[in-house]
Amino acid sequence: MKDQLEEIRRRALAELGDDAEAEVVENVRVRVLGRSGELTEIMRGMRDVAPAERPIIGKLVNDIKREVEARIEALQEHLRARQLERSLASARLDVTLPGVRIPRGHVHPVTRIMEEMLDILCGMGFEVEYTQDVEDDFHNFAALNFPPNHPARDMQDTFFLPGGMLLRTHTSNGQIRVLERRRPPLAVVCPGGCYRRDDLSVRAAPAFNQIEGFMIDRRGRITMSHLKGVLTEFAKEFFGETRVRFRGSFFPFTEPSAELDIYCLLCSGAGCAVCKYSGWTEVLGCGMIHPNVLRAVKLDPNEYQGFAFGMGVERTALMKLGIDDLRLFYENDVRFLGQFPSVAGGSR
Amino acid sequence: MKLPLSWLREFVQIDAPAREIADRLSAAGLVVENIEQVEPAFQGVVVAHVIEAGRHPNADRLSLCQVDAGSKGHFSVVCGAPNVHSGMKAALALVGARLAGADKGQHGDGVPRLENVPPLEAAVIRGVRSEGMLCSERELMLSTEHAGILELPADAPVGTDLADFLMLPDTVLDVEITPNRGDCLSIIGLAREVAAIFGLELNIPRPRRVRGKAASEALPRFSVEIAAPDLCPRYAALAMTRVKIGPSPILIRRRLELCGMRALNNVVDATNYVMIEMGQPLHAFDLEKISGGAIIVRRADGDREFTTLDNVRRELQSNDLLITDQQKPLAIAGVMGGLNSEVSDSTTTILLESAYFEPDTIARTSRRLQLHSEASYRFARGIDRAGQATALARVAELIASSAKARTAGELVDIEARPAPAREITFDLSVVETLTGASLAPAETRRRLNAIGARTRPAGRGMLTVVPPPWRGDLNEPADLAEEVVRLGGLDDIPSGLPPRTSTRAVANPARVFFKNTREIMLGAGLDEVRTLAFTAPADNQRFSGIAQGVEPVKVENPLSMELSELRLSLLPGLTAALRFNLNRQAAAFHAFEIGKVFMTRDGGAAESLVLSAISYGPYLIAEIGHKGIDGGFFSLKGILQSWADAMNIGSRLAFRTASPSEVPFLHPARAAEVVLDDERVGYIGELHPGEAMRLELNAPCAVTELDLAKFISYGFAPRETIELPPRFPAIRRDAALVLERDLPADSVIKAVREVAPPVLESVEVFDVYEGQGIAPGRKSVALACRYRAKDRTLTDEEVNRLHSAVVEHTLKRLGAELRQ
Ligand SMILES: [Zn+2]
Repeated sequence: MKDQLEEIRRRALAELGDDAEAEVVENVRVRVLGRSGELTEIMRGMRDVAPAERPIIGKLVNDIKREVEARIEALQEHLRARQLERSLASARLDVTLPGVRIPRGHVHPVTRIMEEMLDILCGMGFEVEYTQDVEDDFHNFAALNFPPNHPARDMQDTFFLPGGMLLRTHTSNGQIRVLERRRPPLAVVCPGGCYRRDDLSVRAAPAFNQIEGFMIDRRGRITMSHLKGVLTEFAKEFFGETRVRFRGSFFPFTEPSAELDIYCLLCSGAGCAVCKYSGWTEVLGCGMIHPNVLRAVKLDPNEYQGFAFGMGVERTALMKLGIDDLRLFYENDVRFLGQFPSVAGGSR
Repeated sequence: MKLPLSWLREFVQIDAPAREIADRLSAAGLVVENIEQVEPAFQGVVVAHVIEAGRHPNADRLSLCQVDAGSKGHFSVVCGAPNVHSGMKAALALVGARLAGADKGQHGDGVPRLENVPPLEAAVIRGVRSEGMLCSERELMLSTEHAGILELPADAPVGTDLADFLMLPDTVLDVEITPNRGDCLSIIGLAREVAAIFGLELNIPRPRRVRGKAASEALPRFSVEIAAPDLCPRYAALAMTRVKIGPSPILIRRRLELCGMRALNNVVDATNYVMIEMGQPLHAFDLEKISGGAIIVRRADGDREFTTLDNVRRELQSNDLLITDQQKPLAIAGVMGGLNSEVSDSTTTILLESAYFEPDTIARTSRRLQLHSEASYRFARGIDRAGQATALARVAELIASSAKARTAGELVDIEARPAPAREITFDLSVVETLTGASLAPAETRRRLNAIGARTRPAGRGMLTVVPPPWRGDLNEPADLAEEVVRLGGLDDIPSGLPPRTSTRAVANPARVFFKNTREIMLGAGLDEVRTLAFTAPADNQRFSGIAQGVEPVKVENPLSMELSELRLSLLPGLTAALRFNLNRQAAAFHAFEIGKVFMTRDGGAAESLVLSAISYGPYLIAEIGHKGIDGGFFSLKGILQSWADAMNIGSRLAFRTASPSEVPFLHPARAAEVVLDDERVGYIGELHPGEAMRLELNAPCAVTELDLAKFISYGFAPRETIELPPRFPAIRRDAALVLERDLPADSVIKAVREVAPPVLESVEVFDVYEGQGIAPGRKSVALACRYRAKDRTLTDEEVNRLHSAVVEHTLKRLGAELRQ
């Protein structure tokens, strides 16, 4: 019986050579280990074996079983690997063919620039408030210290609507609207659409966007020095390292008034045709809120003061994107829009 | 405002280069837009004395002149001008001179460069040698005048280079004057600024006093009455006789031209010259045309119309301020004079007006009449409240010299309403409180004095400041603080950051909503567009928006008919953008816009915020081995649903078949109203085939528009409670129901829900089929029902029982049968 077992083992291992095919392996498995295989048969014949020998034979059967099983396992592993290798090769893809694209839109550049500005300003402690486009004379002009018939009104050619209404000519109405609802201290930015009677052209449009910002606190706490600091920081974050300068100016609703220039983005201060050889480009208007504006919202200018600024989004976007035709923003040509990122936010 | 530096230097001795003057004016709030270098269009031309102008021996029309050019020599010159005469001073182009204007007309409009012009040669004209040429203004390119030669003033120094004599070359700054600075609409005003900025002396010569007593001749009589002192507080007038109308001296004409004004005659030019120099608009009447010699300043009242000197008949309103005589209006005060009293070539007696009119009345009238003159421009911005008599004296001085006229009688100066005393108590610390700049009190005071304010100490750290009468814009301490920092170009103000504790910023929920909405729309493949709020009436009729029965808002002063209304919907803009892109070979257009629409409400205008989208053409692009998806109703609806799901309001958003009358621009069989919590908030559908045809589309175009007001208030709300993922498996049972074709799938779901056991987790339609095997007029709807209990695994028998009950109810409810 021992010899018989040795013979089973020898034959099995001989057939289970390194290059054994799957079929052979399966045959050996069935023949040796199967339900009616050789080893099972031996175990069935155990009662004919002398009791003293039974444990020895039993052990030998188990050893052979384990050995053959291990061998089969190893061969099957090997066979599976070979099989996989073959199937992989036949499943080869041309990886240079196009993928299945999930469509993704593009954010309008004016939104992108506006959001970028708002992100920077919010990071500096301003909060966003939206106000209305359809306005009355009081909120767009009178409360902002534009007396009736004052030539300053001619600077902003207004669209008039029925019922004494108008389309706001600037987002400065936001100062009045917000201050009618809320009291200082406040740091607010009001983005939104503005309208002026200009034909759509390379340089002008009848509708555009502005961001108005203002910061008000008790008298003496917020000064023009802070206006300079905040806007300088803003310009550096938004335009990158650039030189800035402030110039005196005039707006009815600020006193003192100023304008902020940055180094011309085209010539970096050297002077070119675009900046009329001054080396500078105007970016925004600003100033300390005029006492009459504070009075219009029933704040005592002896108790409160603050600064305000306003900038055009499209104009600034032209500058930053280095393009020179405003109409591109209104055409919505997908070949233009497609060049802007597919995420709504700014750069941060 | 044009500022020739030669003129500026009459009042302030400034040597700084033009660029520096420009930069520092700009920094102080007077932006210099341009620096123009004015070069003479000639060289080699000198002032010469025509000693004798005799006849040319061989030509009647020509003169042969003996000309003295001082150190340059003595010349014999042939001249064809009719006005050449012995004793005159003229411009002599020497042999070798170059005249850019000499052959103007032969070269078209272009001005040749001086170095390209051939030098003048001595010539023999009709047998006589001419050693040079006496020049007309056109040849010197000083004006277009070519009827005769230029006659120079009698005191012009012989032999001087003409360019030097005329103060050419010159530099002209173009200064942008903000509306608050009427005082800078004058050379002297700008000179004062320059002096203040550079710390220089301002030197304004006083005009000669008007002497009342002229010759013994009879003086013309006139009177002045101010009947509207509220609109005209001050009116000064002066008569001049023996006026000889003619051209102005070359210097005056030259400067007017540099400042953008056309020269007319020696009287009108003088008034314009003084206006530019001092900022006081002046007017000259022909005194003989003033009935009774009476000047009355009054409101138009009953006068209805008036013809201004540009020969346009103007309609008047009763509040317009007029200058009249006893019978008729003579001028619209401060705006424009009349044709009936204009100075003409035959005028010999004039009445000069120098008045102060209230800015408001002039601005109102000139704006209403759309008549903006140099005078009204200045009056509207506010002129010197006290400068009338001085300007009158100055203009009299000029006219006396240029028109050989004499003043007749005293200068009449009526002040019907004195200027209110203006005193500002100025706490010097205000400069620092407001701007952060710490300036020495003495420097602050110096700057205030430099702009013409009078200051006197008023106790510790206080000044009493009397602003100058030409600065109507200075009324309170903040105004003075601005003057102080402005003159330093704002450089005295340090740059600092505000105290962080002063405010507490909160994220704006609407902005978060916009950002997230944009993000989802972009992620769904829609490009963001921005279109104009203005549209054509036809577009508003076509795309009437979400709300029904609303009237569009008409713009009262539109740019054009095409932009004469405010949009009721974003669709006009979106469809135009679609067409724009299709015209440029785009195959697809999927876009959205968040924007405002406008409607008439209570006689006024109201606005609301909407989200609109359009989807046309291939959406998921077909690739090798993959089918594409075209944009259409369901892909756009899916986008809205994903968006609502992301906002956690997906289950509250419903779509109901829309009645065509609500959305006439949509396909009547492919339109839905969008409902949020049972409230109609918008629509979605495919464009009506008629619209599609108008837009020349050849595939379905889906559009949607939602009123965002409701959505913003919901924001992106988080779920109130978070549920754990289910622990027990779900069991799915399907059912295919055959029912009436027109019954919406939604009603099947609703029927199921009526008897849904608590363990029915979800029910969805996963297929709809019509055609073979289904009776005509009916369709098969395949439902997937998913059952799950929270606390145990359901058994098959349990689910089968529940499911058949659900199906049975649904069949009965809808008159449906099971599909075999
Ligand atoms: Zn430049």
